[in-house]
Amino acid sequence: MKNGFNRIALFTVLSQALLACATPMPPQELLDARTAYDVATKSSAPQYAPAQLDTAKQSLARAEQSFQDNGDEPVTKDLAYVADRRAKLAAAEGSREQAERTRAQMDKDFRSTEIDALETTKSKLENEQRARAEAEKGLADAQKKLSAAMASLTEIAKVKEESRGVVITLSGSVLFATGKSALLPIAQEKLSEVAKALNDQGFKSLLVEGHTDSQGSADKNMVLSQERAESVRTYLISQGIPSDKIKAQGIGSSRPVADNSTAEGRANNRRVEIVVEPLGK
Amino acid sequence: MREFCLVGVVALVTACGGAAVPQESLTAAKASIAGAEVGGAASEPKAALHLKLAKEQVAKAESLISDGDNEEAARVIDRAQADADLSLALAKEVSAEKAAIETKEQLEKLRKKATQ
Repeated sequence: MKNGFNRIALFTVLSQALLACATPMPPQELLDARTAYDVATKSSAPQYAPAQLDTAKQSLARAEQSFQDNGDEPVTKDLAYVADRRAKLAAAEGSREQAERTRAQMDKDFRSTEIDALETTKSKLENEQRARAEAEKGLADAQKKLSAAMASLTEIAKVKEESRGVVITLSGSVLFATGKSALLPIAQEKLSEVAKALNDQGFKSLLVEGHTDSQGSADKNMVLSQERAESVRTYLISQGIPSDKIKAQGIGSSRPVADNSTAEGRANNRRVEIVVEPLGK
Repeated sequence: MREFCLVGVVALVTACGGAAVPQESLTAAKASIAGAEVGGAASEPKAALHLKLAKEQVAKAESLISDGDNEEAARVIDRAQADADLSLALAKEVSAEKAAIETKEQLEKLRKKATQ
């Protein structure tokens, strides 16, 4: 009996000491819930999931109250377990909301960038179109100038396309007095127009050929044709044709274009030909 | 005789802990688990863990109910519900973040292309 009494006394003392020592240690679940709530308050939850964070707060408060009232009983652990999940949910919802907003903003940026890119492409195309139109107009202008030059040439001389180039034929009787190599005033006028047309049109090189009919000696004719070609070359140079692009050559009577037995044929054979090597050939 | 029976059943239920079967909250927890699964929780590790916990606790609650311990069953169902809700929230968080990364990559690609 005495023994039994002692044992009860010892138990009482020990349990009183334990109680006095302090409130019991919070269960792991409650520690976890406190940490989770702390993490949630520092996450994007306050900004993006305030309602869920509030639910977590109340859930934690119930767990804390239960710990005050019941200590680390199963009911406290269950409430803390739930509070832990509620806090984690608030954090997850916060970052979900934040991610969705970020994505929505980027979506908007994507669309506006796409529109900008389209605008850029559009204006690039428009610029290209404008440039092409200008180039085409330039080309058309050049062509117009060229055909105008050709037209003015055909008015004063015979123009023919041959394999050696464009051949401009000027009648000898228009250019020179019989047996002379000095240009007549009317010839100078005509040659000025030819020079102008050639300069307008552009060319790679010019070859001036002097031709005679078959009357008189071949030697004399050769000399005369050379002098006449030189005379035309000199005049054309004076009209702005670059001297390094123009050559003169006497052919004599060796290349008739008509019958030398008639007066008309001989007139046609007395001539100066300007062979134009066109640009880009 | 019938009345006697009823009184007997009521007495039995009361004797077994005094709480009613938490049928409504059990059904709700199961529905939330199904919702989390539809939301892709099973394929996201973090979400899958809480999905598993929710399922285990529902099973535990059912066995507690059949043992007649409705009060503890109700608390275990609360745990299951919290895990199921968290599981869905985590799955949604992950997919929102993935979508944001995808959109970011598309935007960067477009910007790169636009500056070329």
